[in-house]
Amino acid sequence: MLQMNNVSKVFRTDTVQTSALKDFSLTVDEGEFVTITGPSGCGKTTFLNIAGLLETYTSGTYLLDGVDVSQLGDFQRARLRNEKIGFIFQSFNLMPDLNLFDNVDVPLRYRGMKASERKPLIENALESVGLASRMKHLPAQLSGGQQQRVAIARALVGSPLFLLADEPTGNLDSNTALGVMELLQEINDKGTTIIMVTHDQLLAKQSQRNIHILDGRISTGDQAEALAPAAEVA
Amino acid sequence: MEIGPILRALWHNKLGAMLIAVQIAVTMTVIINAIFIINERSRLMARPSGLEEANLFHLTSVGYGDDFNEQVTSDDDLNMLRQLPGVVNATAVNAIPVSGSGSSTGVRIDMDDRTANVGTAIYRVDEQVFDTLGLNFIAGEGFDVTDMRYRSSAGTTDADKVVMTEALAAILFPDLTPNEVIGETLYTDQVTALQIVGIVERLQAPWPSWENVESSVLIPEQFLDTYSLYVVRTEPGQRDQVMRAAEDLLAGSGADRVIRGVNSLEQTRSETYGADSALSSILKTVVVTLVFINSMGIVGLAVFSINKRRKQIGTRRALGASKFEILRYFLLENLLITTVGVLVGAVLTIALSIVLTTNFNMPAMAWYYAPLGALALIAIGQLAALGPSVRATTITPATATRTV
Ligand SMILES: Nc1ncnc2c1ncn2[C@@H]1O[C@H](COP(=O)(O)OP(=O)(O)OP(=O)(O)O)[C@@H](O)[C@H]1O
Ligand SMILES: [Mg+2]
Repeated sequence: MLQMNNVSKVFRTDTVQTSALKDFSLTVDEGEFVTITGPSGCGKTTFLNIAGLLETYTSGTYLLDGVDVSQLGDFQRARLRNEKIGFIFQSFNLMPDLNLFDNVDVPLRYRGMKASERKPLIENALESVGLASRMKHLPAQLSGGQQQRVAIARALVGSPLFLLADEPTGNLDSNTALGVMELLQEINDKGTTIIMVTHDQLLAKQSQRNIHILDGRISTGDQAEALAPAAEVA
Repeated sequence: MEIGPILRALWHNKLGAMLIAVQIAVTMTVIINAIFIINERSRLMARPSGLEEANLFHLTSVGYGDDFNEQVTSDDDLNMLRQLPGVVNATAVNAIPVSGSGSSTGVRIDMDDRTANVGTAIYRVDEQVFDTLGLNFIAGEGFDVTDMRYRSSAGTTDADKVVMTEALAAILFPDLTPNEVIGETLYTDQVTALQIVGIVERLQAPWPSWENVESSVLIPEQFLDTYSLYVVRTEPGQRDQVMRAAEDLLAGSGADRVIRGVNSLEQTRSETYGADSALSSILKTVVVTLVFINSMGIVGLAVFSINKRRKQIGTRRALGASKFEILRYFLLENLLITTVGVLVGAVLTIALSIVLTTNFNMPAMAWYYAPLGALALIAIGQLAALGPSVRATTITPATATRTV
């Protein structure tokens, strides 16, 4: 479903050149829950951005759902993001001036659906994260955990192939983080593929599969090994 | 489209949007009324006087001394002028259209009914006036030498013919065609009966802002006093040089008089309309300035609101918005704000126009000014918002994950 082969990403500025990903190869199958860990600056967000078509890559191949995305233009990439990918961000990225209903509506509008089709989808999505009763509220009127649930509803509302989450619990306290993690587990149990970047080793241990990145490469070293048995226990 | 969410989002950010809408409303109110006044002035200035102005100039002769003979001097002057190279014809008149000074009288067709008097400019002319000024007959004919009468300004007229403008004929004889008017009798305030011998298409009264400006009569008589006003028509392109030659010629003729007021008709017109031109220039400056300030305000608000929402824009791109959809979002947002502005502006525009009409004796604004103005301001708004909106489309989707 997601297949990267020797993907590299080089950021060039006038003075410096940063290799954020080096010969990065990874395949994720349908239904998996993959966590990505690694020290700050190792390339986690870069990987996620490339996977989510938010950024282009310098070399290698990336097949998304069998499609070579390097051939796609900006408009087609936007369409693919809209239809196949759900995004969850560390700082939620809700539209502060829109109520929850309108926030969850945003990706559906870019899909050009009729209002009558969108409404039940939005209500279901908010229902599934337990916020159906707060539809008319503004994001600022919710707690951080609740805001992230709205963002999850927004990511899910279009029934994407997979969810990409960049430290979705990074701005939450540990209890709230656990709640959000449980919600993501539930979503994964229902069949949605999830790729999640996290700093939290405990959360990483809960997932089926953990990828550890060191300096732009997948690490096959100690830490990944060490996590593997724990994941099986969970 | 996303009008609903844009409106709801704007509602949570009322202040900035409302300030711009108010600015647009005020701008529209001022500039539409200003443009109306400018157009109204241009329309007044563009009305033809009926004269071939480009080739005309005029000058006055004021005699002095006991021996001064007005009639002889005047005849001599006109003969000299007509023989000057480059001169087509010359005439003696008491007043000039557009000049701002002249005489008026009341005329009627029923001798006994003074209440039916119609105000009209009165031109005392000679028989050469029609050819010299280039007046255009639509019925009848002008005067000949035998029609001319000479009198002192205090005496009563014994002229017995008159030529009038078509506009005056239409007021006096609404049911007659110009040809049917020929031969009718006209009475002036002095109860003099004048036979109507001709109707000219147009000859404005000397006062451009007078309500009866298109009503004039020409009577074949000359006052015998010391003051003569001559109008000279030249060959095309020779006016300025003939003007100087004519002044020298008359000044050196040996008569006891001085030559004054040598001026082309174009000069006279621009002096008469000087205040109107100045007002128009000021208003044009006001319009340009306000449009500029208004556009800058819109650009400023757009830049500000886009910079404030970089992460939102990146997020929208991540969630599937195409560049075009980002562009459309901000143009639509501008359109909604501007629309509120021009709707309020249309009401204020009409209100101000009513105030101007009732208090300053201005004609009513044509109905299409407000809607056309509204469309123009919407277009200006979209143009002003276009630059910042295009820049918003360059915000990358990665902004969603790369900014805190
Ligand atoms: N736009 C950019 N221009 C230049 N270098 C960049 C850019 N974005 C990221 N980098 C560099 O690429 C490398 C990987 O960054 P990335 O954001 O993927 O790290 P990360 O693993 O997500 O870190 P963190 O855990 O702090 O979020 C870093 O060295 C970073 O400085
Ligand atoms: Mg990161």
